[in-house]
Amino acid sequence: MSNIDQAVAPANLDQVQTANGQASAERGSTLLLGKRSLLLLLSWLAPAALVMSWEVLARAGWISPQVLPAPSKVIATAIRLATTDSLPNDLWVSLLRAACGFAIGGSIGFVLGILVGFSRIAEAAIDRSVQMIRAIPFLAVLPLVIVWLGVGEAEKIFLVALGVTFPIYINTTLGIRQVDPKLIELGRIQGLGSLELIRRIVLPGALPSILTGVRYALATAWLALVVAETIGAQSGIGFLAMDAREFLRTDVIVLTIVIYALIGVAADAIARLLERRLLAWHPNYGGGR
Amino acid sequence: MTVRVAPPSSSAVITPAVVVSNLRRAYGDRVVIDRLNLRIERGEFVALLGESGCGKTTLLRALAGLDPIQGGRIAAPRRPAVVFQEHRLLPWDSLWRNVSLGLQVPDARERAAAALAEVGLGDRLDDWPRNLSGGQAQRVALARALVQQPELLLLDEPFAALDALTRIRMHELVRALVANHRPGVLLVTHDVDEAIALADRILIMRDGAIAFEHRKPDDTTSIGRTALLAELGVLVSHAAA
Repeated sequence: MSNIDQAVAPANLDQVQTANGQASAERGSTLLLGKRSLLLLLSWLAPAALVMSWEVLARAGWISPQVLPAPSKVIATAIRLATTDSLPNDLWVSLLRAACGFAIGGSIGFVLGILVGFSRIAEAAIDRSVQMIRAIPFLAVLPLVIVWLGVGEAEKIFLVALGVTFPIYINTTLGIRQVDPKLIELGRIQGLGSLELIRRIVLPGALPSILTGVRYALATAWLALVVAETIGAQSGIGFLAMDAREFLRTDVIVLTIVIYALIGVAADAIARLLERRLLAWHPNYGGGR
Repeated sequence: MTVRVAPPSSSAVITPAVVVSNLRRAYGDRVVIDRLNLRIERGEFVALLGESGCGKTTLLRALAGLDPIQGGRIAAPRRPAVVFQEHRLLPWDSLWRNVSLGLQVPDARERAAAALAEVGLGDRLDDWPRNLSGGQAQRVALARALVQQPELLLLDEPFAALDALTRIRMHELVRALVANHRPGVLLVTHDVDEAIALADRILIMRDGAIAFEHRKPDDTTSIGRTALLAELGVLVSHAAA
């Protein structure tokens, strides 16, 4: 597969360069384009070469399959598990846990953030306690959570929710604080009521910060889930990994790591999409037009 | 909030847009406005000059109802509209949404469209503020103020940040808009020439009160300008002809 990639790619590059040379009269831009596509190609070739050498070393027996299986073996395992075994089910269970935890933690963080952002009294009552709890690395409370909730769904969802609450909370309050007071003053001059003021000015103004919080929260949610599932689970991606560990099935373990990574990338892509959609007005997100 | 739609004004009757009597405004112990009296008729364009820190903007903010007052009375029939030095457009709303902010009528979009057309931006309804130049943004701010059909329009150095040519164009536009809508106008400015160009009446504020009043004669002469500058403490020895 990688061999084919290498064979095709330089040919493409040649085509791009000659096509540009003929079409464009501006030599500068042609050179720039050629250089840029070359760099792009290199940036993809480097990791491809890494994977290739991993494959070669594994096949040659330089790396024991029990340490690191060949990439092709991992792909084969993925296909086998996806068709015959419980991989889709485990994936679904993990995603559901993450989603539940995210919804609960996100709601709590958002509501607290709104309260503290708007009310000095709420800030005095809530903020210091939240900041104190935030100082604890949330994974450190895991033993306590297991004592409270046992090793089950509740414990995993709780841990995810805990990890999600703080980034959402902090960025919501921050966003509300950062709304330009001059715009709020303008809203009053235009005769907006309190609710309208919040809907038309405060929340849109706070949205960039809130979405930043969502992206952070997605990362922590995922981390929390990995830890919670590794500690003890009867299903899920983490269960798959721990189960495979008992049988020294490193191919399955590597597969679960790759799945965690892919889902993390997908979550970030969704968050970016949200930003581009909701912040189309914002010069830093909407793409200059 | 309440919708305020102006009744068709019988333009023959002169009614005040605002009457200020014995106004007092202080920050703690520091008195900024003291026993200030002011009356602006509807359709009258008043410019307020004064050195920095003399209380011009404080007066405007008090008239706008943005700050509490410590004494006296401000009688304005309706909430005034304000245009600030910064355009204060909401970056996340399209131009027509910006103009119709606070306008609670079913045909808000049509009214915003009409107001934007009046300032020469009728084809930019769905555009975003970030695509506007400084002058265009200020024109949208004017449209937003006028769409409320105010009886009192407060302008807080709205042209100060614009380049000279744009400023002159804005002067023409404001003159036309005010002639059309006939609100009472209070323009706070540093610029003596701007005041002469636009105002029916020029006030100079000093020590928290109106110190000098100049009703513009029919012909605008450099005598008026020199006198105004002298009142502001600027002596022009070689007065331009």
